[in-house]
Amino acid sequence: MGTATVAVECRGVRKTYDGSGQQVVALRGIDLDIHAGELMMLVGPSGCGKTTLISVIAGILDQDEGLCRVFGHDLLHMKDKDKLRFRAANIGFVFQTYNLLPSLTAAENVSIPMILNGISRQKAQRRAVEVLERVGLAERTGSLPSELSGGQQQRVAIARALVHGPKLIVCDEPTSALDHETGHRVMDLLKQVALDEDRALVIVTHDARIFEFADCIAQMDDGQVVKVVRSSGQS
Amino acid sequence: MNYIALKMLMGDRGKYLGIVMGLTFASLIMTQQPAIFVGLMMRSYSFVTDVGLPDIWVMDPKVQFVDDIKPLQDTKLFRVRGVSGVDWAMPMYKGMIKARLADGTFQTCNVIGLDDATLIGGPPVMLEGRLEDLRRADSVIVDIDGARDKLARPSKDPAGKPVPLKVGDTLELNDRRAVVVGIAKTTRTFQSQPVVYTTYSRATLYAPRERKLLSFVLVKARPGQEVHALTRRIRETTGLAAYTQAEFEELTVNYFLKNTGIPINFGMSVTLGFIVGAAIAGQTFYNFTLENIRQFGVLKAMGAGNGTLLGMILLQATLVGMVGYGLGVGLTSLFGWSMRNTILAFKFPWQLLVFSGLGVTLICVFSALLSIRKVIKLEPAIVFKG
Amino acid sequence: MLPKATLPILAVAGFLFGVYSVVTGNQPPPVAPAVVEPARPPFASYIAGAGIVEARSRNIGIGTPLPGLVKSVEVKVGDRVEAGAVLFRLDDREPLAELEIRRADLLKAQAGVAEAEASLTDANTLLALADAVADERAISAEDIKRRRNAVLIAKARLETAHAQVRQAEAQLAAVQTTLDRMVVRAPIRGEVLQVNVRLGEYATTGFLSTPLVIMGDMDRLHVRVDIDENDAWRFRKDGKAYGYLRGNSQLGTELKLAYVEPYIVPKRSLTGDSTERVDTRVLQVLYSFDPAALPVFVGQQMDVFIEAPEYTGSTPNPQPGEGGGG
Repeated sequence: MGTATVAVECRGVRKTYDGSGQQVVALRGIDLDIHAGELMMLVGPSGCGKTTLISVIAGILDQDEGLCRVFGHDLLHMKDKDKLRFRAANIGFVFQTYNLLPSLTAAENVSIPMILNGISRQKAQRRAVEVLERVGLAERTGSLPSELSGGQQQRVAIARALVHGPKLIVCDEPTSALDHETGHRVMDLLKQVALDEDRALVIVTHDARIFEFADCIAQMDDGQVVKVVRSSGQS
Repeated sequence: MNYIALKMLMGDRGKYLGIVMGLTFASLIMTQQPAIFVGLMMRSYSFVTDVGLPDIWVMDPKVQFVDDIKPLQDTKLFRVRGVSGVDWAMPMYKGMIKARLADGTFQTCNVIGLDDATLIGGPPVMLEGRLEDLRRADSVIVDIDGARDKLARPSKDPAGKPVPLKVGDTLELNDRRAVVVGIAKTTRTFQSQPVVYTTYSRATLYAPRERKLLSFVLVKARPGQEVHALTRRIRETTGLAAYTQAEFEELTVNYFLKNTGIPINFGMSVTLGFIVGAAIAGQTFYNFTLENIRQFGVLKAMGAGNGTLLGMILLQATLVGMVGYGLGVGLTSLFGWSMRNTILAFKFPWQLLVFSGLGVTLICVFSALLSIRKVIKLEPAIVFKG
Repeated sequence: MLPKATLPILAVAGFLFGVYSVVTGNQPPPVAPAVVEPARPPFASYIAGAGIVEARSRNIGIGTPLPGLVKSVEVKVGDRVEAGAVLFRLDDREPLAELEIRRADLLKAQAGVAEAEASLTDANTLLALADAVADERAISAEDIKRRRNAVLIAKARLETAHAQVRQAEAQLAAVQTTLDRMVVRAPIRGEVLQVNVRLGEYATTGFLSTPLVIMGDMDRLHVRVDIDENDAWRFRKDGKAYGYLRGNSQLGTELKLAYVEPYIVPKRSLTGDSTERVDTRVLQVLYSFDPAALPVFVGQQMDVFIEAPEYTGSTPNPQPGEGGGG
């Protein structure tokens, strides 16, 4: 597997939080590769550092030590401005609580990443409607998040995560607020729509019901990756 | 992103209305209260403003404000008239004289005696009759507010409204007959006494016996004569106090500011309005930001920079500020408009628009700063926390 | 279009309304113009004073030498009269009656003279008869003496009768003087300004606050100008002066100095009140002008401006009248 297909490359990533008076070590040297076209799940008990790790990977948290390259870019040593632009262009986010802007319609929510990338509102709106159609919400483009069910909201969130064509999509517990069936449908959608040849998906979860969707599962505990299991066909 | 910022703000209807209402309230208090205050203060010297013709008022040096009459000797008029640069100088009597009304009650009136020949210093607007009618025997002109209210004769029907004083009615001023020959419109004064205009010599007859009767000498500067130089010359040569119209108004206002509790009262109202408005608006706006902090975090994670977010917050603050300001100013104007025919003192100078604008801006900047601080310090990583 | 534009639109409307109220609410109040233009001084530096017009002779309040009821008034207000013209007459019935008595007295006295003369003639005749008798026996010496005495007595009686005539004549003249005094005449040539006496009224003697008749010489009028004592030092006799009528500043005339009353008097304010308030002392200066120049009446007030040096001339000129203005 060539370097071009390695989407994320972590080497010895360490992170310590300064919590009131005492230091909390979140990451104790992570070595992890995520390949393009791969759906990677990070699993592990609460507080094992999963969230910290994806924050570092997504470029919204700086690690203390170690190297983390995302598509060959070292985010740690990137200027703030470039990092923002990189994030805006290359990373999509899906959250456990959807985090849709409550005053904006589904289409408007979806268009935000494109507006952040400097695309005009009209254009972004049109594209957002297309993407919403792809996630099966063609009829709900004008609905406010409060008018949508949890699964629909998460589908809007997925549409938002991939509308601008990012290379990496970071998902934080995308199904834990959903019932089993809806969760499955969301995972189906992620697998079908989001994952393609040169895009990587990182999903933090401890929802064992969806492990079956993973190409690769990295198990974490106490700030370290304890086991990486790749499904068949992978080395 | 501006569109998103506005939608974010207006989408949250309750908060949006709360912020706007806070700012509207602040803006209302900061314009309406000072407007009443300014109106009251302007009433203290409205008489001077009404007598618009002369440039300079000459009076005893110890006079503190317009109603503080310290009469002069009659010959001072001619001494003032003899100062070079004086185009004309006219006598004016101003004093409180008791009028006996038809029902036998007494009412203190502000009697103004105008120069017999020129009648300079007369009321600005004549509603009935002409100023020249003062040349008729025993004639006086009464202001409309006094005629309608304090000088009105009681109705025959005990429950009925009093009958306003009309042209042709008579009054008794200090036991002397006075015939109303005109009704004038004057700006209300602070004491709101009825104003009775008559000629100078008749006023001296109405006035209680005093050795000196000349209240003011009204002076017009010659064309091309610098007014301040003339006041200085009048002061030097006659030993009297000479003020330009503006100076005399200022003297009167300062007296009221210094010697009455009015400015403190209104100052406190305005300050309270500002504080309450600032508290409501600032608090709600900050709350709004706090509530949306997660959304800001999401935006930050998705690649919105601090500049973008700052712009959004400033835009939101500007919008609520302008809306609140406009509504407040509008409400104040509406208030003033609906009160225009009452005795309420209300004056809305442009400075108040600026003042309240600055006040609202201050509140918005303060609120925005709180929010901006929060958003700038915001770590986007919070988006992953449950 | 932004969502929910209601509030912003209301706000804009409110602000515009605010601007409108500011604009309309702050118009300066209208200013009452002077009913007539005030008199403006024609000089750069001057003394201002109020003057009152009077006749050149001053205004003469005519009195009566005798009190009495007015029988007739011979003049009207405005009549031009020569010196000595009758102004009014008092009731003269009593002196007229007296005149008749005195006339009768005179006639009686004159009759007494004739009687005395006749007595004298009689006595002389008797004496002459006696003297003509040569015989001393025919007439006694005593008789002759008596006759001589009778002549002397008759002569004395004639003298008395003459004296009585003169007395009666003098008494007649006295009554006629009284009669004459009951006719009040103009002391000078001039115009009758005021007649305060009417037929049947009782005219009293003495100083009256309203004189019976006021007259004056109206060929030229004087205006008596009060100058505040504080300004008196600035007065120059050669300063030009202009006077303007109250009520119409267009009506003005140049004034010629007539004389200065060198005695500073307490100012009477010109309100006409009987209990004038004395508040300062004034120098009174009289200027004359041609009455044809102005439609002016005696007693009218004028605004007078007299050319004078500046206040700031620092050292006052010690000789009023010499200064050429400063």
